[in-house]
Amino acid sequence: MKGRIVGVLVLLVWGIVKLPIETGMTRARNADRFHGFAQTASLREQAGQAGVIAVFGGLRSTVADLLWIRAHIAWQSVEWGRMKYLFDVVTALQPQRVNFWDMAAWHMAWNASVAAERDETVPEFQRLKNKEDYHKLGEDFLLRGISANPDSWELYDRLGGLYRDKFQDHYKAHLAYKEAALRPDRLEYVDRFAVYELADSPGHEKEAYEQLLALYNRGKQEWLPTLLKKLQLMEIKLGVPPEQRVYIPPESRHSADK
Amino acid sequence: MSDAAAPSAPSSPVHRMFSLGRIAALAGNTLRDLIRQKVFYFMLVFALILIGASLVLVSLSFQGEIQTLKDVGLGAISVFTMLLAVLSSAMLLPKDIEDRTLYTILAKPVTRFEYLLGKLSGVIAMLATATVLMTACFCGVLLLWQGRAIDNIEMNYPVDMKAESVAAATASPDSTAPQTRRELEIQKLESETFNGSLFGAIAILLLRAAVCAAVTLMVSCFATSWLFTVVAAFMMILIGHIVPIARDAWQAQAGMGGELAIHIKLLLMGITVFCPDMQLFNLVDDIAVGKIIPMEVFMQTTALGFGYLAIYVFVGYLFFAWREL
Amino acid sequence: MHDSDGFCDKSAHRNGKNANNGRYGRYGRYGNYVFPIILIIPLPPIKRCTLRRTPSNFTHDIPPVSRKIPSHQNPVSSTPAISIQSLTKEFKSPSLFQRGSITAVKNLSLNVEAGSVYGLLGPNGSGKSTTMKIVLGLVAPTSGRTFIFGRDSRDVDSREAVGFLPENPYFYKFLTGEETLHFYGKLCGLRGNKLKNRSKELLELVGLTDAAHRRVGGYSKGMLQRIGLAQALVQEPRLLVLDEPTAGVDPVGSRDIRDLILELKQRGITVMLCSHLLGQVQEICDRIGIMHRGELVREGALDELISIENQTEFVLENATPELLKELRVKVEASGARVVGQHKPQQNLERYFLDVTNDPKK
Repeated sequence: MKGRIVGVLVLLVWGIVKLPIETGMTRARNADRFHGFAQTASLREQAGQAGVIAVFGGLRSTVADLLWIRAHIAWQSVEWGRMKYLFDVVTALQPQRVNFWDMAAWHMAWNASVAAERDETVPEFQRLKNKEDYHKLGEDFLLRGISANPDSWELYDRLGGLYRDKFQDHYKAHLAYKEAALRPDRLEYVDRFAVYELADSPGHEKEAYEQLLALYNRGKQEWLPTLLKKLQLMEIKLGVPPEQRVYIPPESRHSADK
Repeated sequence: MSDAAAPSAPSSPVHRMFSLGRIAALAGNTLRDLIRQKVFYFMLVFALILIGASLVLVSLSFQGEIQTLKDVGLGAISVFTMLLAVLSSAMLLPKDIEDRTLYTILAKPVTRFEYLLGKLSGVIAMLATATVLMTACFCGVLLLWQGRAIDNIEMNYPVDMKAESVAAATASPDSTAPQTRRELEIQKLESETFNGSLFGAIAILLLRAAVCAAVTLMVSCFATSWLFTVVAAFMMILIGHIVPIARDAWQAQAGMGGELAIHIKLLLMGITVFCPDMQLFNLVDDIAVGKIIPMEVFMQTTALGFGYLAIYVFVGYLFFAWREL
Repeated sequence: MHDSDGFCDKSAHRNGKNANNGRYGRYGRYGNYVFPIILIIPLPPIKRCTLRRTPSNFTHDIPPVSRKIPSHQNPVSSTPAISIQSLTKEFKSPSLFQRGSITAVKNLSLNVEAGSVYGLLGPNGSGKSTTMKIVLGLVAPTSGRTFIFGRDSRDVDSREAVGFLPENPYFYKFLTGEETLHFYGKLCGLRGNKLKNRSKELLELVGLTDAAHRRVGGYSKGMLQRIGLAQALVQEPRLLVLDEPTAGVDPVGSRDIRDLILELKQRGITVMLCSHLLGQVQEICDRIGIMHRGELVREGALDELISIENQTEFVLENATPELLKELRVKVEASGARVVGQHKPQQNLERYFLDVTNDPKK
């Protein structure tokens, strides 16, 4: 008994000593977003969270993968509701997998919304509403994904595409692409897309023209057809005098190169 | 002090209280005993099959194949090392007591501390062996998949397709950045498949398994049945996975004056203080998505792990030292 | 075959061998056929042995054959091998609902002199094993102290001088006999060639050279006892503690183990053994202690304890039946040769039962 009492006391002392150490380590990892489970309030509010962590400690990612496969199967069965539920669980289990958020948003905002729009079993006004709801679900997945992975340029890129293609909100798309352009390891096209979307946003023509010019002045490698077309449109919209225009019509380009 | 005088002691060589040789002898014997058990082979073969089967799972997955491979492989290593640690440690002491080999060992000039340390060292050696084997299989699967993926890339991307490279405007002329799309994709694939952090995370898994073994051995030092040891150890380890939540809840309540009932607060405090925080040893979920473990994180986790090992061995010794054999 | 009560060492007759140096004494192979003359001092009737059991028990004008090793072969150290001082051990009741404790050993004090063979006897539950475990430091005493060659037995270094063979020992079944000795040798600090040579030597001593490379899991009971003895001897201990060394062993193996113990004694090794085979104890022990219900009820030299003080035996050679009759009155004048004289001994088992006063028996 004596040994047991002393042993329990040692465990108690160790528990008190390790408390600040473990707290500090956990906080540092959460701050660095290093640990998969950032202790956000929304995560903790989920009823089964403690159970998930307890059982899946070390198996979290594996279970996420298995549920991901099930979500893919649900897609083949066109079970949008089940897919949404599975995507919620998968992204909760492994919030640092960018492609989970990306694919979840894609399925909701593109596939499910189109299916809802074409669903003839419901009245038309309901179809439109359902379509918009799925767009918002897609947006929600991307925003949550960005919150869990703030350094991910891909999610900002997808968000930009979502605003451009589904919400037709070019200014929001511009902001999303602009954020993507600030992230490391992004692909170059996001820089251009940020400018293109600004050009398509009403009320921002001057700013857009300046940025288009800046791109143009980088050199011939940037003189892609979309850039040239938007530059031309901006110059016409803004009424830039011809002698100040930088856009070279195609028929004059060869002579300019010479 | 007794009135009766102790008989005069004859001179003899001084006994070393701590001998690595004795510990090594016990460890070697324990390792031999464990690796010849059929359950070890069954579990190891099962783990290897599961790792190999991840290639099949990958074919069912939709994008993110490399993450799926890593998740399944690392998950198998994680689970099986933990299972092996608990099940093999639980039987050590009860078996020796039942067979009375413990008496013959402790009747030699072997301290109980050396005995425990030797047994634990043997278990850790077995876990290291199993981890190396599973890691080798896992790396083989990754290499196999990587080879196939590279073949696919070479098929899909022409040799001269220019890479949409990152920040090309700022790249210096003599930079070693990939110039073609094919090179970029292959480089990305290789960096995703293998990196130093992968092996670091596996090393931390081994350390976690060692902590599980130490917990189990500590419990077996006072438990009277094997079943109780296994159940108690598994409970302690599973509860260890929710220690961060319990700790945050307890600290939050303590700071705010507390809305929780007193028994809930005591429970949260008990979990926080007495159970190991197993989540701190779980780096594989982050490795699978391609994160790099900073050296600082690795060193801190390793130091914490060794701290746990030392404490559990010491407490186990305290329980064992006073145990009537 | 051994007669378990010690009477009539018939194996000695059958084999015709002098298996133990001086067993037959000077009376030779047929000494048992000489009818002893018993001079009985009137006392309450005690069952007498009518056949001579061992010649060494005779007292006569020729110095008796002593089981003890002559002093020049056995330099007895002044430090006792085992010294137990006022030892008490109480075990708390394991039941949560039952208070109190069980006293396994009660105020036990005894010394085992170096170089002797000491038998600790007692019925089951008398505290023998508990005493042994305390001496070996496996169990902590409630009060009192125990010493091994002057060192407190709670100190680990005291065990450098001790070899222990528990009752019904098991060893790691996957190890061979040789590997078992290597394992225990390493625990005692032996290494390399020294360990290998020692293992070979011990395997030869216990007669297991042929089985050295067989797994211990395949050993018979007798072989297990032998390998147990070998591991107890691996570090060349000065004290050997044996708990039922011949329990469950066939008579041949049992005799071999007994002979081995005697040989070890001749080498100066102190032996403390517990055994229920009182005949064997009687043959090899110099001193015995009998425990009953945790207390030492009798202790002393075997010869003194089991001798019947008020009786003397004479051994005559070539005595006629008429002479035997007349010897009651005039022994000396009959013309018969007084071959030997001894105090008749009752059976040790009888003595043991009387002392412990077990009603069942």
